[in-house]
Amino acid sequence: MSVAYFPGCSLHGVSREYDRTTRLVCERLGVRLEEVYDWNCCGATAGHSMDHELTMGLNGRNLAQVSLMNLDSVMTPCPGCFNRLKNARVRIEATAARSRKKEQSMKDRPAKLPKVMNLLQFLVEEIGLQQIAKPVTVPLEGLKLAAYYGCLNTRPRKIAEFDDSEQPVSMDRILDTLGAETVSWSHKTECCGGPFTASEVGIVLDLGHQVLEAARYATADAIVVACPMCQLNLDSRQGVDGNALPFRPGLPVIYLTQLIALAYGFPVRRTGLRRLLVEPLSLLRRKGLA
Amino acid sequence: MDADTTYRPLFLNHIDDSLRTEIKRNCSVDVELCMECGKCSGGCPNGHVFDYTPRKIVQLVKLGDRQTLMTMDALWICLSCQACVDRCPSGIDIPAILDYMREKACRTGAKTSRPLVRLFHELVLSSIRGHGRVSELDVALKYNWKAGQPFKDARLGMRMLFKGKFRFYGNGVKQRAEVRRLFEKSVIAKDVS
Repeated sequence: MSVAYFPGCSLHGVSREYDRTTRLVCERLGVRLEEVYDWNCCGATAGHSMDHELTMGLNGRNLAQVSLMNLDSVMTPCPGCFNRLKNARVRIEATAARSRKKEQSMKDRPAKLPKVMNLLQFLVEEIGLQQIAKPVTVPLEGLKLAAYYGCLNTRPRKIAEFDDSEQPVSMDRILDTLGAETVSWSHKTECCGGPFTASEVGIVLDLGHQVLEAARYATADAIVVACPMCQLNLDSRQGVDGNALPFRPGLPVIYLTQLIALAYGFPVRRTGLRRLLVEPLSLLRRKGLA
Repeated sequence: MDADTTYRPLFLNHIDDSLRTEIKRNCSVDVELCMECGKCSGGCPNGHVFDYTPRKIVQLVKLGDRQTLMTMDALWICLSCQACVDRCPSGIDIPAILDYMREKACRTGAKTSRPLVRLFHELVLSSIRGHGRVSELDVALKYNWKAGQPFKDARLGMRMLFKGKFRFYGNGVKQRAEVRRLFEKSVIAKDVS
C-alpha cells in the first residue's frame, strides 16, 4: 500500500522523533510513505488567523502536489496540517459543486482531490487493528496510559469526519491492541493551549495544567499524544523554567508512534524516547519495557 | 466627560444588519440560527479570560457592532480549538467569524489588545514567506528579540537545543517563487518583513 505523506514543519523540526517513528512503524506495517514532493507549510494558526486567501493558496498548492503524485490519499501525523488541508479540500469541493449547479463550464472543475487523513484515521481505518496487532513482539503490559487526542484530530466533526469529537476511542483501541491499559478520563479532547506556546505562556500553563492534573487524577503513568503541538505544550512546561507549573507532575508525554515502535521491538535508540523533555525511560524500565 | 449611561431601548428592527449579511455572504455563517443556548461559551476552554464569550460574539454580530468585534481581547486569544462550532446545535462557525473579523482588523489597522500574539503570527508568516516552511528556531529567536524579552524561556530553549530538537539547515521549499507568489497576492502578509 502506498500513501502520500505530509509531515509538516514540526515533524521536520521540533518533533523529528514523531516523524522517524511514524516512518519506522509504517515500514513495519508494509506501507510505503511517499513524502509529498516539495510541500510547503500549511500556514498553521497564523495563516488562517490573518489571511484566509493565503491559507487557501498554500494548502491548494499542497493538494495539487499530491495530485501530481498520482496517489488518491494523503496522510499527515500533524492534526494542525490535517485541519488546514481538509478545510481547503472541503472548500474547493463546495465551490466546484456550486459552479456545477450554475451549469458553468465543466472545464474549471478541479482535478480529483485526494482524500485527507490524519495518522489515527489512517491506522484505524486503512490499516486496521488486526494488522497493527500482528508485528507486536513486546506487549506494553503494565503500562497505564491516558490517550490524549487534542482538538483537531477529531474536531470540528464536520471537517474531521473521524471518530467522536467528545469521547474518541481510536487511540485507546490502538493502545489496547499493543497490550497497554488505558484510563478513562475527562480531558481527552480539551485544548492544550495550542498556538500560544511562545506568545501567551499564561494560557498554555492554565490549560496544560488542567490536562496534566486530569491525567494524574486518573492515575495514568503517561500521556500518549498524536500531535506535535500537544506534545510540546504538555512536555515543555512541567517544571524547568520560571514559567513552569506550580508543581512537577513528572508525567511523560509520549508520541503514539514511539510506543508502537517500542511494542514492535525496535530498540530505544531508534524510538527517539531520549529526546523527550520529561524522560519516560525510567518508567519504561520499571515496567521492564526498555 | 462621563460615559453616556442613558438607557435607550434597543429596537432590533432598527439596527444595522449589514455585518450580518456580510458574514453570511463571506463566511457562509448565518448568525440568525443562534438560539442563545450558550453551549459555545460553556465549552470554550478560554471563555473565562475572554472579554466577550462566544455567545456574546454572535450577539455582537447580530447587533452589527464592528468596532467592538475588531478591538476585543477575545479576537486575539481564541485558541481556534473548534469546540464552540463542534458543540453548536445550529453549527454556527464562530472561529470563522473571528478569523474574518481579525483579518478585517489587520486590514483596517485596528488596535490589537495583544500585540505579542500578532507579532508571533507575523513572524510565522514571514518565515513561511522566506523558506516556504516554518523554522521554529528562527521564529523563536526573532520573537524573543522583537518582544523585548531576549531571555524568555532561555533555560527551556537550551534544554531543547541539547536534546537536538531544533533544526538548523536543510529545511525549505525548492520552488520558493511559487510560495512567494501566493504571498504577493495577499494584502496583509505582503508587508510582513
